[in-house]
Amino acid sequence: MSTSVIKLGPHQLALEEPMYFRVEVDGEIVVGLDVLAGYVHRGMEHLVMKRNFYQNITLLERLCSLCSNSHPSTFCTAVEEVAGIRIPARAEYLRAIADEIKRISSHLFNCAIIAHIIGQTALFKTVMEIREIMQDTKESIYGNRMDLAANCIGGVRYDLTPESAAYLGKQMERMKGPLDELYRTYATDQAIRTRTEGLGILSKPDAVNYAVVGPVARASGIVYDVRKKNPYGAYDRLRFEVATEQGGDVRARAMVRLREAREAVSLIEQCLADMPPGAIYADTLPEIPAGETIAKSEAPRGELIYYLKTDGTDMPVRLKWRVPSYMNWDALQVMLKGHSVADIPLIVNSIDPCISCTDR
Amino acid sequence: MMEFKKKVSEMISLWIGEEVAVEWRIDIKGVMTGWCRLQEGTLILPAAEAVACLEGRLSMITAYLSEQAKLKGVREISFHFDLNGTTLTLSIELPLEGARIPSLTHIFRNADWNEREFMELYDIQVVGHPDPRRLFLDKSIDPAAFERLIPYSTFSNGANSKALWEKVMAQNNHTGKEIP
Repeated sequence: MSTSVIKLGPHQLALEEPMYFRVEVDGEIVVGLDVLAGYVHRGMEHLVMKRNFYQNITLLERLCSLCSNSHPSTFCTAVEEVAGIRIPARAEYLRAIADEIKRISSHLFNCAIIAHIIGQTALFKTVMEIREIMQDTKESIYGNRMDLAANCIGGVRYDLTPESAAYLGKQMERMKGPLDELYRTYATDQAIRTRTEGLGILSKPDAVNYAVVGPVARASGIVYDVRKKNPYGAYDRLRFEVATEQGGDVRARAMVRLREAREAVSLIEQCLADMPPGAIYADTLPEIPAGETIAKSEAPRGELIYYLKTDGTDMPVRLKWRVPSYMNWDALQVMLKGHSVADIPLIVNSIDPCISCTDR
Repeated sequence: MMEFKKKVSEMISLWIGEEVAVEWRIDIKGVMTGWCRLQEGTLILPAAEAVACLEGRLSMITAYLSEQAKLKGVREISFHFDLNGTTLTLSIELPLEGARIPSLTHIFRNADWNEREFMELYDIQVVGHPDPRRLFLDKSIDPAAFERLIPYSTFSNGANSKALWEKVMAQNNHTGKEIP
């Protein structure tokens, strides 16, 4: 077998962030892959050790835009765990609302990109228009379409008035029909099925071996969602099904995200119905003592884990985090093998990679 | 829960050949985390084998160098494993100079990137890593980046300044051809 190597970058792969691939091909067929990272490395794990806990909330929110709420929220959870701070029940629900709003927007963005890559321009436009309802919602409630600035140590920085809660409820009602219709379209449209079914398969044993997380794992039949396995915030009181598929292909990953977007609407409605009145942050905060802890959350791309070590000062001794995409890149070796070069952009985007998160 | 805790301690003890104590903590949501400090750095290899036997998954590896540890003449690494929702953290101490640790890549495939990353940030050598290349940092940057003073624009490959652009243009002029 004589093979050659081609280099592909974000322009060829329809990625909005820089990640490069050295792809080994036999003719048109992929036989090997090397992922070249570091092009948006900002040394953020170094920066967080030079800033205090409060400054780090702001910094971590700027790690990436699509999962920008998951980072400060999980970091705050870690600090609260070390210091033994119990946040008010209302704040737990408000954090869940912010997380789920971001999840819907993030998942719809990926489904739009998938439609764009397979040449379904009208569908791309439709998905982005539906997502626009969520963007408007974020702008109306938080004052920003991406970074919500919702979290603080001990609770949240925003509250919902009866009027804004009613507005959010109405926006969720507006999402239901379009999300159901989108699910039906991705599930039944023959043109979409032809391009996505059986493509980029990651079997369940491979998913376990590569230790993938999030929708990528759940699309391969792994029933793991941090919100169920490691309940945090309000999730121990919220009802939802863990979306799973068995196909392990591009289609299965899109279907998991669309089902999760629909579940997220239900979760937001539950929060609005069940959220008790009261404080949104702890009245007094203790000094942060020396200690170490782990905090986890289910970010839109899967399990996000933070390790925090403190020494009694107001700056972390070490703050380390591992984002879901970090676990999923390697599995592209399996997904791409045997497929045509032309299918690479679709398969790569089906893991919904976050490069700013990966590089940090 | 008691049975699970016992099973974890027994499996790790069996693999490393000595009794280990795991400290278990439960948060207000009932989520359990296990914390264990191994006596020697090399014990991480059999301990990881034990975690694999328990069908655990490697979640993350954290290398760190605190001032307190420096005074003791050591550096630390914590290995965070997932046991079906329970996080088990196994920590080890390594010497400040000439720190070496066996690779876990043959047990947990995803140790690959974790090990490559901490090798470029700290002065730790991973023995037996199948592909010990830089992961994020450019080859031109001195090793153990977290242990020395490096200009921020260099550390971040110039991604937040015009340094990267200037570097590309300089290389462009030097080779006389476009950079892919």
